Amino acid sequence: MIDYSKVDFTKILKRYDVEGQNEMTPEAIAKTMLPKDPVLYKVAETVLYMKFKDVGPAVAEALKSKDALDIINNGLVVGMECVAKLYAEHIYYLPEIMMAAKTMEIGIALAEKQIPGGRSTKGTVVMHAAEGDPHDIGKNIAAVMMRSSGYTVVDMGKDVAVDDVVAKVKEVKPFMVTGTALMTTTMTAFPRAAAKLVAAGINIPFMAAGGAVNRDFSESFDLGIYSEKAPQTPPIADKVLEGYDWRKIREEWDHIVGA
Amino acid sequence: MAKYTKMAYGSADEMVFGHAKEPVSYGFGIKVGAGRVIPELNYGPRPGSEASPEKLRKEYVDYIAKDVLNRCVTLGFPDVQLETEWISQMGDPKMATPVVEGQKAICEKYYEEYGINCAVRQTIPDQREAEEGYRPGMGGKHQYPEHLFQCAEVACENGADVLSCETLGGKELGDYATTNGDIVAFLFGIGYLGSIDMEYVWNEFVNIAKKNKAIAGGDTNCSGANTSMFMAGGMLDQDVQRTYSAVTRAIASARTLVAWECGASGPDKDCGYEGPICKAIAGKPCAQEGKNCQCAHADLQGNLMAQVCDLWSNESVEYHPEFGGTSVQCWMGSLGYEVALMNTAIQTGKQKELRDLYMITDRERGPEGHILAYDNAYEIGKAIVSEGNNYYLRAKAAGLKAAELIKAHNDAKELQLTRKQREVLEGIIKELSALPDDEDKFFEYCCKKYADVPNFNLKNYDL
Repeated sequence: MIDYSKVDFTKILKRYDVEGQNEMTPEAIAKTMLPKDPVLYKVAETVLYMKFKDVGPAVAEALKSKDALDIINNGLVVGMECVAKLYAEHIYYLPEIMMAAKTMEIGIALAEKQIPGGRSTKGTVVMHAAEGDPHDIGKNIAAVMMRSSGYTVVDMGKDVAVDDVVAKVKEVKPFMVTGTALMTTTMTAFPRAAAKLVAAGINIPFMAAGGAVNRDFSESFDLGIYSEKAPQTPPIADKVLEGYDWRKIREEWDHIVGA
Repeated sequence: MAKYTKMAYGSADEMVFGHAKEPVSYGFGIKVGAGRVIPELNYGPRPGSEASPEKLRKEYVDYIAKDVLNRCVTLGFPDVQLETEWISQMGDPKMATPVVEGQKAICEKYYEEYGINCAVRQTIPDQREAEEGYRPGMGGKHQYPEHLFQCAEVACENGADVLSCETLGGKELGDYATTNGDIVAFLFGIGYLGSIDMEYVWNEFVNIAKKNKAIAGGDTNCSGANTSMFMAGGMLDQDVQRTYSAVTRAIASARTLVAWECGASGPDKDCGYEGPICKAIAGKPCAQEGKNCQCAHADLQGNLMAQVCDLWSNESVEYHPEFGGTSVQCWMGSLGYEVALMNTAIQTGKQKELRDLYMITDRERGPEGHILAYDNAYEIGKAIVSEGNNYYLRAKAAGLKAAELIKAHNDAKELQLTRKQREVLEGIIKELSALPDDEDKFFEYCCKKYADVPNFNLKNYDL
């Protein structure tokens, strides 16, 4: 092997990941964001540190003195917001998001039992991976992020036929439908599904995403909007709930996703 | 079935691009691993071309294949391998057959007219879904397992020179593992169950290929280790740690090897970045991708991956116009000139120098490339063959060796890691080291621990 012991690697490459790593700790973020109330703090902390086993007892203890909705909104959800901040700051990564979301969902399920009629959600979204496409990891991650943001997700899975998507939308009346595709020849299902929705008089955004899909394609058919990465799905959904239609989402897409 | 328990190469330094211990010949004059590197051009048809068998054949044969072969002749490239990764619609023989036949015919035409050495790799789609069943007869509504073997038959009967596949065994656990950062789940899903699935599938593929006088090439853990690597992404991405993805690559190599143990002869698939490890063990030719596949993948080892390749690929590019011609022509030029450089190095006796330059440029760019540098890949290969007869133990040994190499080289300040990368690495070493040496105990432990992972079903592995 060539002797490379005297090579100055800084002349060849730059490790931006090492040089740019965030010095902040989860504890520092927690101090500024977690609730001051000691009971709610304990609940939020289980989400922040992904303590599956502790969230149940913490919620049960909180229910002795707090309203269930208070525990959810000011304990569990605040813990998850803290996790989202850590993710945005490159201190937490995808596995932490997944585990924290799981912890939060355990806590919410427990607290919800005390709310007559259950907790109201922000809205319902139908999600699927295109017909012929066996790859759904991106859709699964986006679904977790949507649930964590307070949305109800109807997850149709992968390899879903166009007619099944249309039928499900008619059945559950979501405010938005999403589809992911990893192959250029499976993503052609999206305009076909969108056209059938339009023909049925349904005018909701159809988010087309996934490895094969780009913004040009997503915006090439009526209803179509784009999401480049899973974390962009909740902020786009928030705008749809604010009343943005698919045309306005397209116009303001860069601003919404912080591009 | 004999498993690899010793290395094909006596030392890492024996490995070099364009030379394999067991070269393979096929198609119209193609010789892989026999002293020169062959460019392999892969493409995707335009959306809409799947509308009918006629449109699809025209796209693949009259446009894509013809454009590629013309560009090779135009630029004076002596060899080319085409790779068709079947789109899902080609699961229907009416769609697939005209494409396979047409590509064979156009290769023959160019070989006869210009003397260009050429061949076609047909990479059939594995559409099996864990929820419907991985084995034939499990009753899924799409009958994907049955279609998988039918695709192999259709490909080989109609002119495939090389049969390949990116099989999905273990994916249900691999996806769970990567999204949750759970290396034991990856070891169980990809290293153990994935290997069992590979043995089943590749024994069938080898029989089908032999029957039709085609070459059974090999597999890749695209759905596992590549998912992990591409989620880990570049310097500023934040989904998966690159120390995790590096270890998944090593584990995946023990799985990819199974196709060759079943009798496949190589070349394996380009997107199997585990190729250097597998080649070190088996001596069979490997296809790789890197700097000349930017149309599809941006990875952190673009030069390094060329170090010991036998075929050099662009991964895949959608067919469309560019300023310099069609996309397939542009990427053919990119591949062809890189391969010409490698072959010039061989002809001038400078192949080891070029190999080392390729490797050194990316050796410290990140942990994934670091463990694939041929000296480290060789060490991981040795760990695998030391436990070669046991799928679990060899995959664990591969993962642990990769993790230990990264840690040692980080300690020695040869390889930089972020705090988080180091933290995850230490967690991996702790978890893998704590696993039992007994396969049955590992199996029992994992079946209990991962019982609730969606679509995990032991019947998929005949267990």
